[in-house]
Order: sequence, then C-alpha cells, then structure tokens
Amino acid sequence: MSPAEPKPRKYSYYVEARALEVTDRPRRFLETFAAVLEHSNYAVALDAYARVCSKCGRCADRCQLYETTGEERDVPGGRGDLLLRVYRRYFTIGGRLKARLVGGFTLTDEYLDRMAEEYYRCVACRRCKEVCPMGIDQGLITHLARWLLAEVGVTPKALVLAVREQLQGVGNTSAIPVAALKNTCEFLEEELQDIYGVTIQFPFDVEGAEHVFFPAVSDYLLEPDTLMANAAVMHVSGGSWTIGTGNYDGINYGLFYSDRMMERIVGRLVAEVRRLKARKILIGECGHATRSAWFAPTFCGPDAPEVVNFLQYTARALREGKIPLKGKVIEERVTYHDPCNIARAGRITEEPREILRAICRDFVEMTPNRTHNLCCGGGSGLVSVDEIRPFRTRKMGKMKADQIRATGARIVAAPCANCKKQLREVCEDNGLADVQVVGVHDLLLRAIDFGVEPKAEEKVESSSQAMA
Amino acid sequence: MDLWLEWARGPLFRIAIAFLILGLVRHVAIAVFEIAWAVRRAGDKNIPYRKLARATLAWLVPAGKLGHRPLYGLTTLAFHVSIVIVPLFLGGHIALWARATDLAWPAIPNLLADVLTVIATAAAVLLVIERIAARGPQMLSRFSDYAFPLLIAVVFGSGFLAMHPALSPVAFRPALLVHALGANLILIFIPFSKLSHVILMPLTHLISEVAWHFPPHAGSEVGLALGKENEPV
Repeated sequence: MSPAEPKPRKYSYYVEARALEVTDRPRRFLETFAAVLEHSNYAVALDAYARVCSKCGRCADRCQLYETTGEERDVPGGRGDLLLRVYRRYFTIGGRLKARLVGGFTLTDEYLDRMAEEYYRCVACRRCKEVCPMGIDQGLITHLARWLLAEVGVTPKALVLAVREQLQGVGNTSAIPVAALKNTCEFLEEELQDIYGVTIQFPFDVEGAEHVFFPAVSDYLLEPDTLMANAAVMHVSGGSWTIGTGNYDGINYGLFYSDRMMERIVGRLVAEVRRLKARKILIGECGHATRSAWFAPTFCGPDAPEVVNFLQYTARALREGKIPLKGKVIEERVTYHDPCNIARAGRITEEPREILRAICRDFVEMTPNRTHNLCCGGGSGLVSVDEIRPFRTRKMGKMKADQIRATGARIVAAPCANCKKQLREVCEDNGLADVQVVGVHDLLLRAIDFGVEPKAEEKVESSSQAMA
Repeated sequence: MDLWLEWARGPLFRIAIAFLILGLVRHVAIAVFEIAWAVRRAGDKNIPYRKLARATLAWLVPAGKLGHRPLYGLTTLAFHVSIVIVPLFLGGHIALWARATDLAWPAIPNLLADVLTVIATAAAVLLVIERIAARGPQMLSRFSDYAFPLLIAVVFGSGFLAMHPALSPVAFRPALLVHALGANLILIFIPFSKLSHVILMPLTHLISEVAWHFPPHAGSEVGLALGKENEPV
C-alpha cells in the first residue's frame, strides 16, 4: 500500500476504502441473506443447527484458538450463534413472531462489525465438527457468514485483491504473465539439468493431455523444488500432462469468502481443461485449491473433469513401481502436517505418508494427525493477511508450534502452499527457526533415481536460494 | 389432589403426547423434505451416505467419544442412557399405556429401573454443576440449559419417591403429581426446544454434508438476485 493511500483499519485486517463507505448495511446484509437462502442449500443446515445445538461446549475443547486465548468470543458454538441468531430472528416464523410480540434482537451495524471480526478469527478448520455429537459444522457457518459479509463489502483486502487479479487482471492471483511463467519454467528446466543431469520439460498447451496442471500459482515464485519434483515425477512415470497458458492457477480464494467468486474460479479451471481437450484437473501441493476443485461437479455438472491431487498421482505411480528411488535418502527426522482441506474429511491422508515412508529414514507422526490434525493456523485464507501475523502465529499457531516441537523433527513436510507459508512464520515466531518447512515432493526429488550421475549434488538443497 | 392427579395422568398427558408426536413428526417431515429438496437441487449428488451413517451411529453409541473431559462425557452418557430407558420400559409406565391403548411391551426389572433413576437424577444435577464449572459450556449456556436438566432431575427424583413411599419424606400423591406434571411439561417442551435433538440428531450429520452440495449456479443466481452480475470484483 502506498503511503499516500489512507489505511482503513477498522478491523484487525485491512479492508478496501470503499468497504467503509457502504451504507445501510444491515438491510443489505438481510437482503443478501434472503437471496442466499433461496438459491443455495444452506437453509437446511441453519434450520437444524438453530434447533439442535445443545450448548454442550465440546466444541470449545477442540478449538486451537480457544485453547490458547481462553476468550469467550473464541468458543466455536458461540461464534456460530452470531449468525444463527440473525437467521432465527429474521428467517423463522417463531423468530419473527417473537420480535413482533416482545421485540428483542435487531441486526445493527455494530453487530455486523462484531461478526466481521469473529468470523475472521476462525480458520474454518472444522476440528470442532469432529467432536460435536450433532455434527454441527462451524466451518460451514463461517464460510456462509463471510460470504454474506463480503456482499456488504467486508472482506480482508488481501483476499479481494488476489481474486480481482485472477478474474479481471493478469488471470492469476500472483499476477504472473505467461512470458514470466515460461521464463520460470525454463529456469527450472535448467536447474534440473544442472543439478540432476536430466532433461525434463514443462509442457505448455499440449492438446489432449491427460492432466492439466494447476498448482497454487505462487509456487512459481516460491516453491521451485516442489515444481521441479512435480515435473520429475511426470517425467519418470511417463505421465501425460500440460500447463495451460489460458489458466495456470489453482488458487481459489472464493472458498474463503464468496461462493459467487468460487463458482467463477472453478469454472475457469474446467474451461481450461476443456479448451485443451484434456481429461483431468491435476492440482499441485495445495490444500484449499484441491478442496475447491472438488466442487467442479457441483458447479459444472457430473461430466466435469476428474480432480486429482498430485500426492494421489505420485503415490499411485510409486505403488506401480514407476518412480525409481535411490532409497531412504532423507536422513533428518521428518514429520508430516495434514492440511485441513484435504485431510479433515479423510480424503487424502495416506498417500503423502506412503511417499515419505519410502524416502525418509526417520519419519515421525505429529499428534494428533490425519482427520484430527491441528490447523497450521493460517487456514481459510488468513495466511494471506499479513497484518494479522501476530494473531496467526502466536495465537492460532501456538499449539501447532508446540506440536512440531514435540516431534523433534528438523523437517516438516506440508503439501500446501498456504500451510507452508504459515508454518514457516509459525516456526520463526515460536523459536523453531531451525525447522525447515518443505513440500512432500521437494523431499521426493532428492530421492528419485534418474539413472544418471548428478552433476552437482551439493546444490540439491540450494535451488530455492538460487531462485530467490 | 386425586382430581389433579387424574387430570395430569389423563387429559394433560394426552395433550402432552399429542404435542410431542405432532411436533416431532413435523420436525422430521420438514427435515426430510429439506434434505430431499437440497439433494435434488445439488449439482453434485454424490453424497457419502455410508460414511455419514457410520458417523451418526458412532455418536448414538458413543464408545470412545468421551473426549478429553471424560467425567463430562461419562455423565452425559449415563444421563442419556437412563433417561431413554426408564420412561419407556418401567413396568408402571407400560401399565399406564396398556390401560389406555391395550399396547404393552416387556418391562425392565424394577430394581434396574431404580438404579437407572438414581443415576439419571444424579447425572442431571452433575451436568448442571459441570456446566457451571467448565468455562466452554458455561459461556454458551442459556437459562434453559440449566433449567432442563434440573426439571429432569425433579421428574426422576419425584418418580423415585413415588415408587418408594417408605423412603419418601413427602406423601405419595404429591410426589406422583409433581412427577406427572413435570414429565408432561418435558414432553411438551421437546419439540419446541433444543430437546428436539431426540429426533433430529440422526439427521444432522447428513444435513451438514448436504448443505455443502450447492446448486450449480447458486453463486451467480445470488449475484443476479442482488443485481451484481456485472459488478467488478
């Protein structure tokens, strides 16, 4: 942000100046709420949640934020009730009747401000759903509340800017033009040649390829090892893949604040696959990109392309013996962080472990793990909001730091662009500066046997710095 | 007193049961209709029914789900088991049904009913104490969250005293009247309060899943409804 621009800081996070000029917010919020209830399927959940929550408080036991802060506002059930109260009052017969007879709750600007603050203190990790006897999904409530707030202008500026760049600007969240993308890939090809002595290409716009590759586009700026490993896996396994120059970004911040945006961004993925007459969406190491891509059949019908996460592809190739390995070459102790978006519902938990066990001498689990894992602390897009870093790393991420410390691992493998950024900051801010946070594929790259003598093995671990 | 007792066990009970049954049927009908409607509209109709059924059953038989506050978990479990079994399977209750409807089913031994009744009463009181003592639940609690367990404790406690006049400091009839009135009150409250989870709980895990299955154009339809279809991001 330039110094000349005023800094609107009404909430813990920056919002756009125009968001603060919005008037008549309660009415607009309720109008949006009514439209959403009519066109979506949220009403069925709100109806049930508003009735059955027994206020047993088990959700508090499972919230990593509440356990750290102990603040009343951080009890998940209470936070969920902020939205349910509005629902009951304005969208149920009982609520409207009660309001007419005895008055009571009215939606105000101040109440909306409180919601704006609270629903961005939740990472929508959905751990609390695991311990709720009723299966109440507070993550769903946070997801919906943020959409409603977005329609009255309240969304962290960082998220809006990224989506604007993706839908109206260069076409991806990091504003990387096609020429720069190709340059980067050429650089990575040279690195693979220099370090590993293999010629591997990043294919562009190959019509009829099986997979179209969509990593978190930020990987092209920050995670060269992950990308080189992705290409290497495709190379040794003989996989059919391509990068589409029409869209090469798997990131979908719509998942974090607006179904309207999510629908458009998922549509762009599917359109690119269809343009290239390809069959599958191949998502790189990114949790939320994978989960939002799983919505492809939701938004694009049952004939939408199949979604494959790179971990699934690699684990399968490994099982089929298509990835020759030098053995367990990773000597340091390694632990694995389950990204919420792929692990909470139990969809991808074993594949990364298969890969890591095949290449690591000393692999240890964090506790808890898999579907019960702790969030990195930057989930639901919070990691992109730099101005709340102390909150993310010291409060939301404190238990995560303790969990990593307890494993004694020197390397944390986290197959998610957001988790990686957040975990690096968590480690920095919690006295774990010597812990390395990498992708699963980064480690695999060191173990792939290309059948040629590496030209400069000592550079293996330094490609990130070279790129930086 | 006898007149009141007859009223509580007769007309009032019939009204309470009517409220209960009609209310619960309404809840189930609405929930099932809404689920079916949501699935019909959903773009992705692929719903993991088996997995959801397992998750639901895991909570209906919550072994291993006691969490990291085992006392609270155990109290809750003991509470629920006993308040479901005793009202339905106490010999005296079945006799009442048989008198009115000719319907009867096997009863549990009275001794077991006694034990469960004491457990229910103690657990209900303990629940209130634990609710006050634990910060999470205490912050969430409303008046009714304390009132319901206490009312249940009164109903079970008075029921026990009515069954054991020899042990009772109060006379048989007043104890029975309190028992019957309180029980009717609970039956009426069930459909109108959080107690509706007695019937909705088996559906809520499914509901949580279905709600994520959006209609294909839910987002753009909302944009259209708000006149934002051409609005820049």
